Amino acid sequence: MSEAKQDPPSSVVKAAPPRRTIALTGADAFLGRNLIGLLEDDDRIGRIVALDVKNPSTAGRKTRFYKVDLTQPTVDARLAEILAAEGVDTLLHMAFLASPTHAGAWAHELESVGTMHVLNACRERPVRKLILWSQTLLYGASPSNPNFLTERHPLRANSESRFLRDKVQVEEAVARFAKQTPGTVVTTLRLAPILGPTVHNYLTRYLGRRVVPRLMGFDPLMQFLHEVDALAAFSRAIHRDAPGVFNVVGEGVLPLSTVIRLAGRSTVPIPHPVAAAVNSVLWSAQLSEAPPTFLDYLRWICVADGDKARHELQFHPSFTTREAVVDFAGAQSLRDARLLRPAESL
Amino acid sequence: MPRKVLGDDPFAATLPAKKPAKKPAEKPAKKPLGATTKKSAKKPLGAAQTAVAPPATVDAPPPPPPEPVAPAAPVEARPRLDEILGVLDGDASLRARVLEALGAAEPEPRPAPEAAEPEALAPTSEAADDGAMMASEFYRQHWGRIAMRDRSEATDDFGLDPAYEARWRPAWEFLYDRWWRVEVEGIHHIPSEGPAALVANHGGAVPFDGVMLSTAVRREHPAQRQLRWLAEDFVFHMPFAGAFVNRIGAVRACQENAERLIRQGNLVALFPEGVKGIGKLYKDRYKLQRFGRGGHIKLAIRTRSPIIPVTIVGNEDTHPMLAGSDRLAKLLGMPYVPITPTFPLLGPLGLLPLPAKWRIIFGEPIAVAHLPAEAADDELLVGRLNEKLRATIQDTLDRALRERVSVFKG
Repeated sequence: MSEAKQDPPSSVVKAAPPRRTIALTGADAFLGRNLIGLLEDDDRIGRIVALDVKNPSTAGRKTRFYKVDLTQPTVDARLAEILAAEGVDTLLHMAFLASPTHAGAWAHELESVGTMHVLNACRERPVRKLILWSQTLLYGASPSNPNFLTERHPLRANSESRFLRDKVQVEEAVARFAKQTPGTVVTTLRLAPILGPTVHNYLTRYLGRRVVPRLMGFDPLMQFLHEVDALAAFSRAIHRDAPGVFNVVGEGVLPLSTVIRLAGRSTVPIPHPVAAAVNSVLWSAQLSEAPPTFLDYLRWICVADGDKARHELQFHPSFTTREAVVDFAGAQSLRDARLLRPAESL
Repeated sequence: MPRKVLGDDPFAATLPAKKPAKKPAEKPAKKPLGATTKKSAKKPLGAAQTAVAPPATVDAPPPPPPEPVAPAAPVEARPRLDEILGVLDGDASLRARVLEALGAAEPEPRPAPEAAEPEALAPTSEAADDGAMMASEFYRQHWGRIAMRDRSEATDDFGLDPAYEARWRPAWEFLYDRWWRVEVEGIHHIPSEGPAALVANHGGAVPFDGVMLSTAVRREHPAQRQLRWLAEDFVFHMPFAGAFVNRIGAVRACQENAERLIRQGNLVALFPEGVKGIGKLYKDRYKLQRFGRGGHIKLAIRTRSPIIPVTIVGNEDTHPMLAGSDRLAKLLGMPYVPITPTFPLLGPLGLLPLPAKWRIIFGEPIAVAHLPAEAADDELLVGRLNEKLRATIQDTLDRALRERVSVFKG
């Protein structure tokens, strides 16, 4: 593994061009878009194949865009064709929703069924490496969680939540795939909730409220990952062959109340029996960031242990949880003053 | 403007010290005047004092008062981004990184550090002063984080909030010194460094033995070590209580947490009796219940850390539980609901602990480091060690109870 790491610096890159071809699904989402921007500047990457329904704005001269809709029934054949035609070496599967949606049926088609199509395409035309974006949310928040969940812990996310259930199914499908195809390096990155100055998701909307609701009497420890570290983790996984599942998390934890204060918000505690009812009304009225099942995360702990990624993936986050919150809060306060465009329009 | 005012303070503070070296009479009179012009709009009163004071009376006393007054001005004037960046204190690289992330949209914050440095004066000492000022408690309280005064900037990995915990210390000290008059024996058995598992008996319907044990170790041990204790699951299911005990240092009891704490080199207190310990009736007090399944023994073997048996006398007298209400417990989702002579009768007040006299006896450590790690899977061995440990604590308990003359006087 250390040899692989020493390869790129000088001779190899210039002499023989084993410059790899990377394909990304969900290329126009936050992670895909920014990763393409980074990979455009990366000399070790020869070509980037962007797969999405829309061409990402960061696409440069290395990037070739294919319009691929994972909800289409025949998409697996088309994917296999593209993989073969481009000679794809590494496939990043990142076509997942970052925030819960009301369009549950569509999300299911995209995530769960879409992953089936992607895996079938990889069975038809094998790639050398498959990298999956997953989330630590899937462990589920529970009072019986240890303070740090390791990768061995079962995924016990609330199965009433379609958003989480689909993603758990995806992980299971990918784990099966990894077992069946030992020739492919399968890396699953379970990312902690992402915060940062430019990312936009249900969490930034939640912390972006003037008054942030939380559950009375509960103050769970939270853990975040800075957006830059999220991208760095994928970059690590691209350049380093590390099969397996990895928690990718920022260092340190903060109680929710401290997170809200760091974000410069005031908070209103809501008794938890009331909160579920209120939130389900707000969610159906599209006034809430997340369905009631997400209240678990405001009540119980769901913090993962990043030791494995540190040792095997050599992933060292450059922002701690607190720095991620502070960085987010800095940008948010500029947005409050209308000095910075909202993240959704970036 | 506000930044300038802030920059003035160390300047003004260093000035009196320089006074004897240079022109003794003029400088002090001049400088406050300069300050007056700058602050005139904001603080005419404080400025007037500054200007009048030096020539008027005796040299020393007048100058100090205005200085503490001056810093009050910038509090409301400082921009919000700087509040947030204030979090980063002196850490320049971190600050640069955050600014860089925002840099494209916000050029303002960059000049901030420079703006804080006023006109002249020796630059090196100035920088050092600046650093000291930023690091001072006063600075942190006033500008560091407006909303964070009563909390630390972060908790540790397991949720202990040092600042929050420090605020509760007087209460624990009162309980320790006055209420229970805790007596400690054998504190020297606790190592000065490195991990150890402290195994103790558990009692009191509202258990205080974890926090008293940690107070005892912090106060009596020469190294003033911090102790973490593991608390039962159900506490963490409850609103308020769960977050509270977590912030003051308790950790949910489970193998993973215990092992991680020990591997980080902590002193960890374990109460293997668990809920059965604190839910025991008054007639069963000081009769040790089953010691779990020996998880604490396995933990010690795997991590090769010593086990220190701890005997606590007094904790099981604080809430004489006459009966437990199973039906109410089920209704409330609690493992037990105590019925004491005072509890449901006097409402929450009835849960105040009785002032029994406490005695904490730290016993001879039981070393398991010589055992191979596989021994942790040897159920027979684990069971035997566990039984031995339980007998040790029970014997000490019995002896201490025989020596005790009165519950309240010891």
